[in-house]
Amino acid sequence: MAFGERGGRGGARGGGRGGFGGGDRGGFGGGRGGGRGGFGGDRGGRGGGRGGGRGGFGGDRGGRGGARGGGRGGFGGDRGGRGGKAGLGRKGPGAVTLEPHKHAGVYIAKGKEHLLVTRNMTPGESVYGEKRISIASTNAEGEEEKIEYRVWNPFRSKLAAGILGGLDDIHIKPGAKVLYLGAASGSSVSHVSDIVGPEGVVYAVEFSHRPGRELIGMAKKRTNVVPIVDDARHPQKYRMLVQMVDVIFADVAQPDQARIISLNAHHFLKNGGAIVISIKANCIDSTAPAAQVFASEVNNMRKEGIKPKEQLTLEPYERDHAIVVGKYERHAGN
Amino acid sequence: MSGSLTHILFEGASGYALFTVSMQEEIAAKSKQLQDSINDISIFSRMIQLASFLPFTSAAQALENANDVSEGVLNPHLKNLLNLIVPDVAGKGNKKQSGVLLGVTERGLAGAIQGELGIPCDTSERALELIRGVRLHQEKILIKGGFQKGDVAIAQLGLGHSYSRGKVKFNVNRSDNMIIQAISLSDQLDKDLNTFSMRVREWYGWHFPELYKLVPDAHQYALLAVLIGDRATLTEGSLEDMQAILDDDETRARNVLDAARASMGSDINEIDLINISNFAERVVKLAEYRKSLRRYLIEKMNVVAPNLSALIGETIAARLISHAGSLTNLAKYPASTVQILGAEKALFRALKTKGNTPKYGLIYHSTFIGRAGTKHKGRISRFLANKCSIACRIDCFSDVPTNKFGEALRAQVEERLNFFETGAPVSKNSDAIQKALTAIAADLGDDEDEDDDDEGDVKEDDVADAVKQIEKDQKSASASKAPLDPELAAIAGGLPTPSKKDKKEKKEKKEKRKSEAMDIDVKEESSKKDKKEKKEKKDKKDKEEKKDKEEKKDKKKKRKSEA
Repeated sequence: MAFGERGGRGGARGGGRGGFGGGDRGGFGGGRGGGRGGFGGDRGGRGGGRGGGRGGFGGDRGGRGGARGGGRGGFGGDRGGRGGKAGLGRKGPGAVTLEPHKHAGVYIAKGKEHLLVTRNMTPGESVYGEKRISIASTNAEGEEEKIEYRVWNPFRSKLAAGILGGLDDIHIKPGAKVLYLGAASGSSVSHVSDIVGPEGVVYAVEFSHRPGRELIGMAKKRTNVVPIVDDARHPQKYRMLVQMVDVIFADVAQPDQARIISLNAHHFLKNGGAIVISIKANCIDSTAPAAQVFASEVNNMRKEGIKPKEQLTLEPYERDHAIVVGKYERHAGN
Repeated sequence: MSGSLTHILFEGASGYALFTVSMQEEIAAKSKQLQDSINDISIFSRMIQLASFLPFTSAAQALENANDVSEGVLNPHLKNLLNLIVPDVAGKGNKKQSGVLLGVTERGLAGAIQGELGIPCDTSERALELIRGVRLHQEKILIKGGFQKGDVAIAQLGLGHSYSRGKVKFNVNRSDNMIIQAISLSDQLDKDLNTFSMRVREWYGWHFPELYKLVPDAHQYALLAVLIGDRATLTEGSLEDMQAILDDDETRARNVLDAARASMGSDINEIDLINISNFAERVVKLAEYRKSLRRYLIEKMNVVAPNLSALIGETIAARLISHAGSLTNLAKYPASTVQILGAEKALFRALKTKGNTPKYGLIYHSTFIGRAGTKHKGRISRFLANKCSIACRIDCFSDVPTNKFGEALRAQVEERLNFFETGAPVSKNSDAIQKALTAIAADLGDDEDEDDDDEGDVKEDDVADAVKQIEKDQKSASASKAPLDPELAAIAGGLPTPSKKDKKEKKEKKEKRKSEAMDIDVKEESSKKDKKEKKEKKDKKDKEEKKDKEEKKDKKKKRKSEA
């Protein structure tokens, strides 16, 4: 993949250090992809190194790292941002061409560098400060029109990292109904909402109030996102709000995540539906080697009637993370 | 519950739906065949029939119902539906014999229905299986109930927004959040004040370099920089003002004056000076603000977590809460976690390398640990963490606003420190808590009397008296007790106790039962040692309840005798 060599390992590492919130969720990607700044130029590199985060990609977002990571992160982020901008330096939209990815609803913008993008449902607006690209194309009537796409940063979204890592099937496609557990402030959710489009629905569950606030704000502008601020451990509490879904995507980073996911599947996932889980090895057992943790988690899922289909580590975007895709077969349980 | 399901209840975003069941699978609930037939609408619609659909009439009603459903409460709206529809063969109030068995998703709600309406409920897999089917086909099935395609999604969207907004709006940890923000800001201000003071020093130093040596304290320096301004204008007349700033030290004030006259600093023009003074004034203001913020934090802590604050001091208590996320979270942690809270990095490194785990985290800053010998630091840290976890559980789950428990626990830690040196045994938990309870009872007596004669102003003194008295008791109890830390002592003197204490008191019995129930939950999570302590405490609480009655009679007498 074109992306692979870019951030490189340095990026992932920088992330690990940078998020000094240290929380399970890596502090909003406070530092994720810090190293990427280096790409844009010297100054960007510095910002990334200090954990300000988000050196390169979206550019202007540096401040976010600061919001959680404390003052120093903030400073670094700012610089990284600027460096990144200079580095991206695309020569206007004309130089960019669009290619569909093998997953429907996901595209690759090929300009000076290759970017993963999704079609923006709300043209003219960024959700979390990501870059937007307008690309001209001809519509069905043969008229030229400009369609806006949003850049999807694999260092900030595990799903994007999984796509770039080469998942065979993410099951999230236009028109799908998705239950998204661990939605946080909704940055990844917004891309999922782009993919499923107006015909699909994303039920975004997040327990924490602070990011829940931002999730609700995001959902206001996207009518296919249903925000649910509640505990994913008790799916029956929000049973009134959810239909049967085609896919469950889970990024909950909890020791008992297999249980959480299977509970939700029992209530809301269609028989034969898909489950896409991101596993952070450190959150489940910080002493055991990562591979062993992944294996035991997959085993736990199998016991709950989830048939594992593929597994992928998220190197170089995240360290000791894996994405597992499974199929829910209710009749195969027991 | 034996017998087969006759009805199932489905809670949708737009209303309640009740179905009658005509076919069901008892044994092979998870067979492929059943799953396939549930998936197929044509077969599934033969398995169940819509009996009735009761829509919500307004968004507010929908939200109210959503909240009730999520809490497992039987809403009147649902009650109406069930009353109307469920066949009442044997006459009112005799639904048990009617052969009805209602399938419900969640146990809580099932219990409520069973309790209030006497309709037997079933929450097993077979009910879930059918409800899954309804959820899958709800749009098509509910068309009979006057539904259109897409309505479900719209209702869910609207309800999802209002439900989530409600959750964020009525946050239970409100005052905890204020504490977390205040302590973070206070730490930030400390850092910033330091940087700014350095800047004042550097800047004003060009004009009056000698001042720094004479006045090393940052706050005094800033005050003086504002006062002196151009050092050429400094005369004997300003000696007194300087003296006031410099802790009434006349010689130092004179030294400053002498230094100003003989300074080697460069002259400064007016505009530069105005800018320097402006900045110095800001720094002074900021320092004052920091002090007031501190007072606010202390006040807040004494309301939210009085016992924990009394035990380890407001600052560390606030840091603990901030680290845990909320007081409730902190109360749920086992003592071993409280002990190393803030030392996660060291802990995980130790776990990975199989080295020694850290002995203390945030609680290291407590004076207790500083006062213990090197050998005993780890032991006192463990002891202190145990007491902290008791204190914050009391704070979290008790409805009586008091810091007596905290003081009792603090006395215990003092005794423990003493034990390392002299070997004098530490008083038992049961004794310590008992003492605290007696003190509370005495205190409550005082309070209630007071409300009779006036509404609360004098109370502070009375409470302070009580606090002092208890302190005396504790001092005599523990052979050698170190003086309270000055900050704490100051607070203990002017302890602001919520004035509506006794009103709460009357509710106490009810609420105490609740809090005890919660105690039990927490107990499961705590370490064994804590369990013992908890049990003792619980016993105490029970005793306390009984005592309260007696005490109310006694207190008036007591007060008179005191007077």
